[in-house]
Amino acid sequence: MKLTIVGSGPGGYVAALRAAQLGADVTVIEDDEVGGTCLNWGCIPTKTMIASCDVLAKVRELDKFGLELSGSVVPNIMKIVERRNKVVGIQIRGIRGLFKSWGVVLKEGRGILTSPRTIEVALKGGGTEKVETDCIIIATGSRPAKIPTLPFDGKSILSSTDMMKLIDIPKSLLIVGAGVIGCEFACIYRELGSEVTMVEMLDRAVATEDREVSELLEKELKKKKIKLMTGVGVDRAEVRGDGVHAFLSNGSELVATQILVSVGRTPNSDNLGLESAGVAQGKKGEIVVNERMETNVPGIYAIGDVTGGLLLAHVASRQGLVAVQNIMGKDEVFDYSVVPAAIFTSPEIASVGLRTHQAEERGIKIKTGHFEFRGLGKAHAIGEISGFIKIIAEEQTDKILGCHIIGPHASDLIHEAALAMKTGRTVRDIAGTIHAHPTLAEGIMEAAEDVHGEAVHVPKK
Amino acid sequence: MNPDDFRYHKEHTWVRVSGKKGTIGITDYAQDALGDIVYIDLPELEESIEANSEISEIESTKATSAVISPVSGKIIKVNEELSESPEIINEDPYGKGWIAVIELENAGEADDLMDSSEYEKYIEEEAK
Repeated sequence: MKLTIVGSGPGGYVAALRAAQLGADVTVIEDDEVGGTCLNWGCIPTKTMIASCDVLAKVRELDKFGLELSGSVVPNIMKIVERRNKVVGIQIRGIRGLFKSWGVVLKEGRGILTSPRTIEVALKGGGTEKVETDCIIIATGSRPAKIPTLPFDGKSILSSTDMMKLIDIPKSLLIVGAGVIGCEFACIYRELGSEVTMVEMLDRAVATEDREVSELLEKELKKKKIKLMTGVGVDRAEVRGDGVHAFLSNGSELVATQILVSVGRTPNSDNLGLESAGVAQGKKGEIVVNERMETNVPGIYAIGDVTGGLLLAHVASRQGLVAVQNIMGKDEVFDYSVVPAAIFTSPEIASVGLRTHQAEERGIKIKTGHFEFRGLGKAHAIGEISGFIKIIAEEQTDKILGCHIIGPHASDLIHEAALAMKTGRTVRDIAGTIHAHPTLAEGIMEAAEDVHGEAVHVPKK
Repeated sequence: MNPDDFRYHKEHTWVRVSGKKGTIGITDYAQDALGDIVYIDLPELEESIEANSEISEIESTKATSAVISPVSGKIIKVNEELSESPEIINEDPYGKGWIAVIELENAGEADDLMDSSEYEKYIEEEAK
């Protein structure tokens, strides 16, 4: 089996390695750097910056922990970026090393489909090369969505990718779009010292999450003095001497050093030769696939952000595995019912499964359990008591349908609920499992107990 | 002791009426039940509020609790000092720990609330 993968982000590189492990002859075509947006401009670099911010936040409350500091701690953005680049570099070398180890051939250049079985690569070093193949996986990802009223200029009006090129801390930052990306950057730059204002067209921050999670996040943003305006858009912006002036749909005007536009992402499906290969696309340019990750053209698969849907690195990776299984003669489908997701705001957010409003819309009878982190000794010990865990269960069967966490280490805690859902477990299965003390995971047990009004560490109602 | 010239709401808030203005806060019983207060989400100036509705949220080391307004009107002053030092509510719930001043919609509204002796009986009942 000769398999060619266009794109080496978390979808493409994972698919390449698995296919090679299963014995395929694999070629990967990449026109930027291996690891894609996730490793180079997204998940990993932002998380290293957040790690710097977390340390800074802790240092700011040293006295609470009984520590004294002579002198002051000042963020040095150049050094933060240096550390970030180092971490990214390690991961890049890691992927390249794995490719070498499994015999995956990396061709660096732009790959364009010229037929369902041929790809022409415009090599980075010059010249072109034709690749003949049996199967193709398109894993070209996405890029920040543009809005005509706020055109990116890389200087004053920035995309999330441009943010990764910033080497100073803007005095003030206006963030358009309070979704996942906007809220993460808001927390990062606020901690580093920027004045941050966010405007969001929808009625709440992180609107894809459970409403209670949005409400708590909004309160936490307020505590940090991050200003959030909901139900408001930006009509236009003007770059002037004193900064960028943004004219809002509610008639007001804001001035900021820079604007970050984070209003979604656009699939990278153009200039790929999709037309010559006959690959069908949806309204937003996304490649249409079935749950086996097949496009309309036999032998051509697509995975990850380029297919639209859930724009998550780990979804892309799993879709890559599904595509490879099918290419190698197995039969596998992608299961959308249990997809955990994390938002690295402060505090963190994580979710899996149904939100309350989704259960209501679908007419599913549910019962919920809540537990606040401030009820846990461990949360007090580490000095992070804000947040809660919410478990949604089906009334009749007691099966877990969703879990929503905002609070310390939410992104690590969510997987207990994900596994319970994937294996069809009930609330009583979690409540009946001993959880080590003192841990934050005890909160999951308490939230499960609370579904039946049996949480121990809550006052009498 | 709960001051005699205050009126009390069953959600453990108080109002002290002076002409057309009412100062509001949470009761000593409430601060004691909450424990160490670590944050208060203060109401917005100029906001119109209704009696029996949530105007603020208090976080303590034990719980997160809504502050229910005992009266209706418009917020004309908030105690900004609480945003930096919310523990003042624990220390002096009826004095320096006041939360907001409301321009009362109806000065007579407070008369329907409990007086101090009624409130004391009420919390005795609650404790049972």
